[in-house]
Amino acid sequence: MDEPLVRWDWIARNWDNGSPLAIRTLLENHVVMAFAPVLFGLLLALPIGLACARWRLLYQPATAVMNIVYAMPSLALFSILLSVTGLTQTTVIIPLTLFSLAVLIPAVVDGMTSVPDHVRQSAVAMGFRPLRRLLQVELPIATPVVLAGVRVATVASISLVSVGALIGQGGLGALFTDGWQRQFYTPIIVGIALIVLLAVGADLVLIALQRLLTPWSRARRSA
Amino acid sequence: MITFDGVTKRYADGTVAVDNLSLEAASGTITVFVGPSGCGKTTSLRMINRMIDATAGRILLDGQDVKAIEPATLRRGIGYVIQQAGLFPHRRIVDNIATVPYLLGWDRKKARARAMELLERVGLDPKLARRYPFQLSGGQQQRVGVARALAADPPVLLMDEPFSAVDPVVRASLQEELLRLQSELHKTIVFVTHDIDEAVKLGDTVAVFRVGGHLAQISDPATLLSEPADDFVRGFLGRDRGIRRLSFIPAADVPLSPPPPELVLAEGKPVGWKLDGGLRPYGSFNPATDSLRAALDASLLSANGLAVAVDGDGGVLGVLGRDALDAAVSGVARG
Repeated sequence: MDEPLVRWDWIARNWDNGSPLAIRTLLENHVVMAFAPVLFGLLLALPIGLACARWRLLYQPATAVMNIVYAMPSLALFSILLSVTGLTQTTVIIPLTLFSLAVLIPAVVDGMTSVPDHVRQSAVAMGFRPLRRLLQVELPIATPVVLAGVRVATVASISLVSVGALIGQGGLGALFTDGWQRQFYTPIIVGIALIVLLAVGADLVLIALQRLLTPWSRARRSA
Repeated sequence: MITFDGVTKRYADGTVAVDNLSLEAASGTITVFVGPSGCGKTTSLRMINRMIDATAGRILLDGQDVKAIEPATLRRGIGYVIQQAGLFPHRRIVDNIATVPYLLGWDRKKARARAMELLERVGLDPKLARRYPFQLSGGQQQRVGVARALAADPPVLLMDEPFSAVDPVVRASLQEELLRLQSELHKTIVFVTHDIDEAVKLGDTVAVFRVGGHLAQISDPATLLSEPADDFVRGFLGRDRGIRRLSFIPAADVPLSPPPPELVLAEGKPVGWKLDGGLRPYGSFNPATDSLRAALDASLLSANGLAVAVDGDGGVLGVLGRDALDAAVSGVARG
């Protein structure tokens, strides 16, 4: 009971000791499994979201399907995928990609809806053809809203990766199972701290990206 | 010249927005489409650059049917200004103005140089070029909208209620600016508004639309005010159309009398009327440039009813008495 809450010597020994459970290795895996779903999700959400914004009738059914997927327990998705992709990172990345779609598709649709009608009309009247109008007018104006969705999806994904520990692919989540099994709190605290740091860091990077990409965005200026 | 030849727009649900419209907008002039909401004036405007396609009839641009021209190509050759300016929020002012030159494939340097030239032409500080639209006032944005429409020097300009969203003072200065630009550029302008005063002020020709897309009357503004075609037009023109008609009659021919001794002068310019031992206000007009309406206004502002006529430098030319003014106004009323 006089065991300290955090044993720093354990952290030092396990940071980079070459084992597959070294904290650094787990952190790297965690980053890959957290960011890949957001990247793939964005690549899928762009065409799907644009289609939903263009043909509004699609949006309702697409949202319904996405919400059902979102409601599905990740464990259930893992067990379905296990027979196909086995105990690999892919088994974690696929469900998280689907989860991120539930956030990113509405973000793309909302982003396109955020383009003021008079701006779209004036683009048409200036003589933009549809593809150029999409690339040079609509998507740039949709960017702040889409990026807000990317921030939510990224933070959610970083936190959700740990569930993969149940199939031995949880990145930093492995520290939780390890800690619980041994009734040893240091790995658990290290896991929580690194996941929170990762989430905050990623969010800050995305905010910086947003300022860089959209210097015209009214929201962050008082002028 | 823009010609509407039996143009009808009927929507799928059967609503007729424009009904068999035929009219001509002469080259180098401002034609104003005016009418209450739902009269089809905006629909008519948008059929010119094919934002909306007509159901029947033809619209000719200098003799060529607009339906024979691919829409994007057609639109790049027609300037367009809309109510909220419609500026691209993500582009700097200079690049907003250069929109059509970019679309036409001009190189960046030439397009930007042209944009800078136009920025000054519409009366804006070149320092605004690097700003984003949200950093400009509504009136400034609207000027940028006009500059953008002029960027590729199109012969035709379509303006859809461009000054409706700004306050009256700014609106008046934008209207003056448009008339000044037009006196230099001589574009063929079609201007849509619901404001009859704006129509009468800006239009060389005014087309009054009534609900259902019918043309009620088309004529020059002075004729419109003196000879409204029917009760609808009369009602739409409002109560003080008699007074407003005076705006179109120059005050050049009014007989002036020598200034009476009560008019106090300083270096040949009027200061006021010396009446009842005090200095009282006066009103002045310039016969060379002003209308009878300005002369009447000057008379009403003067403490003794005498309108002071001045030249361009403010020097006194004489005074216009009530009787002479009355005779001039009565002459207008008799036609």
